[in-house]
Order: sequence, then C-alpha cells, then structure tokens
Amino acid sequence: MRTRRYRLALALICAGALLPFAVVFAAGPADAASAAKPATHRVVIDGLKYEPETLTVRRGDTIVWTNKDPFPHTVTAPGKFDSHDIAANGSWKYVARTAGDYAYICTLHPNMKGTLRIE
Amino acid sequence: MKNIGIVVASALFLAAGSVAAQAPNDAQIAHIVVTANQVDIDAGKLAEKMGSTKAVKDFGKQMVTDHSGVNKQAVALVTKLKVTPEDNPTSQSLKSGGQENVKNLKTLKGKAFDKAYIDHEVAYHQQVLDAVDKTLLPSAKNEELKALITKVRPAFVAHLEHAKMLQSKM
Repeated sequence: MRTRRYRLALALICAGALLPFAVVFAAGPADAASAAKPATHRVVIDGLKYEPETLTVRRGDTIVWTNKDPFPHTVTAPGKFDSHDIAANGSWKYVARTAGDYAYICTLHPNMKGTLRIE
Repeated sequence: MKNIGIVVASALFLAAGSVAAQAPNDAQIAHIVVTANQVDIDAGKLAEKMGSTKAVKDFGKQMVTDHSGVNKQAVALVTKLKVTPEDNPTSQSLKSGGQENVKNLKTLKGKAFDKAYIDHEVAYHQQVLDAVDKTLLPSAKNEELKALITKVRPAFVAHLEHAKMLQSKM
C-alpha cells in the first residue's frame, strides 16, 4: 500500500515536471512540425485513368489510390508493388520507401498507365 | 462461327443505321447499354466454366465483373433519372445474337470453345465500340447518360485489346 502511494506521488511529480515542456512543444512553430511530417497523397481512378497520372512524393509519404469506376482495377509496378484488385469504391494505400521512378499499370486493363516518382 | 459475327455486326449495324432513320431516344439507349452488357455477361459466365485455359477463364470472369459493374451503374442512373429502359429493335437483335452465340458455344469444347469465344469477343467489342461512337454517344441527350457511356468506353477498348492479345496466341 505504501509502495503504491509512493509510486503515485512520483508519477504526479514527473507529470508536473514535464508539463511545461508539453506546453512549449504544443505551442511550437507549426511549420517546423509539418515539414518533417510525411504527407498523404491521393490518386483517383476514374474512367480508366489515374488522376494525376504522374505523382511526385517524398520517401515516407503515403499514397492512397481510390477506385471510382464500377469495376475493379489494380495499381501494379511489376516486381515493385502490387495492389491486386481494388474493388469499385475501394482504395489501396502504399508507403513510399525507395527513391526512383515507378511506372505502373492496371493488370486488368493494361491500357491504363501511371507513374509514381519517389524523391 | 462466321454467322455469329454477322449477327453481331447486323445487330449493331442496325443501331448505326437507325441514326439516319430515327436516332434512339435515351430510354432506348439505356436499354441498349444494359442489353449489350448482359449479352457479354452471359457469354463470360459460360467461358468461366468451359474455357480450357486459365487465361480464357480469367477473361470470361473479368467480363462478368466489369460488365456487371457497368450495368449496376446504368440501372442506378436510370432509376435516379426516372427513365424506364425501352425495348427496341437494336436491343432485340443484340439479345438474339447473344443467345445464338451461347447456343453455339455450348456445342464446343476445349480449344475449339476458346477460339470461338475469343473470336466472338473481339468482333463483339469492336462492334459495340462502333455503336457507342456512331450511335449511342451522338444520340444521347441526357448529360449523365452520355457521361456514363463516355466513362466506361475505355473499358471496352481494354477488353478489345485483351481479347485480341489472347486471339493472337491461339
């Protein structure tokens, strides 16, 4: 019982000690925080087109492809990444890891072409 | 096999020819769209079962999925627009041509089935694209109906290319 009270007191003291830092961080410059933060990009698949067709992102960014067509599509860069079937109104998320230009297609409708550029 | 091509061609020629005589109205266009998709769904279902290679079965399955998706959207649109699809000679020809194709395919097996199915798919998608470009799009009055046909047109192009690719390997 004594031990528990002691721990509780210690926890409160620590929390109190950290509070001023938390306030400083929360009030810190927003720009600095967002520059380091990975972004999320969206690609819409509509009328058998990837929009935008070419997308440039940074490593660590997330890309979300959303299928607005009434049938499935894929986002496939052979040997690199493959969404497999994305159902109508479904979406697929990919986190950019390695820099490079990745040409991708829809394996179901190979006349659909897009490029993901990771910087 | 040639007969089937002729039936498809004449059904859609009727669609093209009817522009001069009388352009189809939106209710008729909606009916043609739904019928054209349904005809390809029926053939696709058969190919899923009867195709002798994975490539042909997969193609059949994709035709069922894609054309069912288009029809679901077409039905949703006509419901929203409160349009009742209206039967017409083009739809009737498409339907009877489709029935004849399925009847013929059912008599075939193995490679003969694959070839007949894929040959028909090439001819059918080509003719449907012609009808879309020469009749359905120029005649459609409602912007949303026109937009739906425009949106799905590239799928028919992709199907045609895919079918031609399979055909070239036979």
